[in-house]
Amino acid sequence: MDDSDEALMAQVAKGDQRAYRELAGRHLPAMLGLARRVLGNAADAEDVVQEAMLRVWTHAPRWQPLAAFRTWLTRVVVNLCLDRKRKARWVDLEAAGEIVDPTPGAAERSETDERERQLAGAIAQLPARQRTAIVLTYNEGLSNAQVAKVLDTTVSAVETLLIRGKQNLRRALGNLINED
Amino acid sequence: MNAELLQTFLDRHGADPARWPAHERAKVEGLIAGDPEARRAFEKARRLDAALGRYGDAAAPDNAALARLTAKLNGPLPAQKRPFWRLPAVLLDWQFAPAWPRMAALACCAVLGFAIGLTGIDRQFDTQTTTSVSSSDVSASVFESEPFPGVQP
Repeated sequence: MDDSDEALMAQVAKGDQRAYRELAGRHLPAMLGLARRVLGNAADAEDVVQEAMLRVWTHAPRWQPLAAFRTWLTRVVVNLCLDRKRKARWVDLEAAGEIVDPTPGAAERSETDERERQLAGAIAQLPARQRTAIVLTYNEGLSNAQVAKVLDTTVSAVETLLIRGKQNLRRALGNLINED
Repeated sequence: MNAELLQTFLDRHGADPARWPAHERAKVEGLIAGDPEARRAFEKARRLDAALGRYGDAAAPDNAALARLTAKLNGPLPAQKRPFWRLPAVLLDWQFAPAWPRMAALACCAVLGFAIGLTGIDRQFDTQTTTSVSSSDVSASVFESEPFPGVQP
């Protein structure tokens, strides 16, 4: 039996809730991680992923398998994240930079690791699309062409986002990244 | 390739040679191997990439959030949005194997069409009688010109 994402999505389109829950279980952790990195806020990320997964259910009958399901879902999550960033009136950058690591002892580690905190703060201050391009490239492991597909833009536009994003990070971090 | 171009290349493609375009890889690797300044730029890019990768590790999702989301999605789901106009499911699910019964049906329809056309059974539907709508000349009343066109009261 074909248990690919696309085959499950075909079942979901017919109203199969079991297939939907299996599909959601497969992609929830990765999508939650992606949303948290793009938004820098755990609560917003949870809302965005819930909305994205509900859209998978409601829009399934209209879904066309033109791209891989994972790519489409990533695009939905990223678009919802960018919408949320646009609508946010202001963001406390200090708070946005601190992403809470749930593993034991994380709080102590984050206090001692100033460099990681500064990096998170610098990433949080990047414009949303630059930040998204960097997250998709370095955390999701997507190629520039795949990032372009997710952001619905050209490869050269993605490369420009990466170049500007890294220039901004180097400016913000100074010599911090050279002290390895 | 000068230092500025190398920096742009590393920003665009990262410091992992596996991600570099194949046609530029050998040239850039040669430059890094032979030029100390290029080597330093490469090392800086490698450190930045490693830091960006660590940022991803720190933001790993927590199990409590996953459990909350799973519980929400296991609850009642909203109605699905159906397309406004759908082909009948039988057409969408049409399987073309085995095809011969359908091909035979199509051939029969074609033969029947030719037979009807050749024997002229359908000819009576084509003939029309000419009906006079009116014998009077209505063109004068329809196309009567307006007196003093363009004159404003």
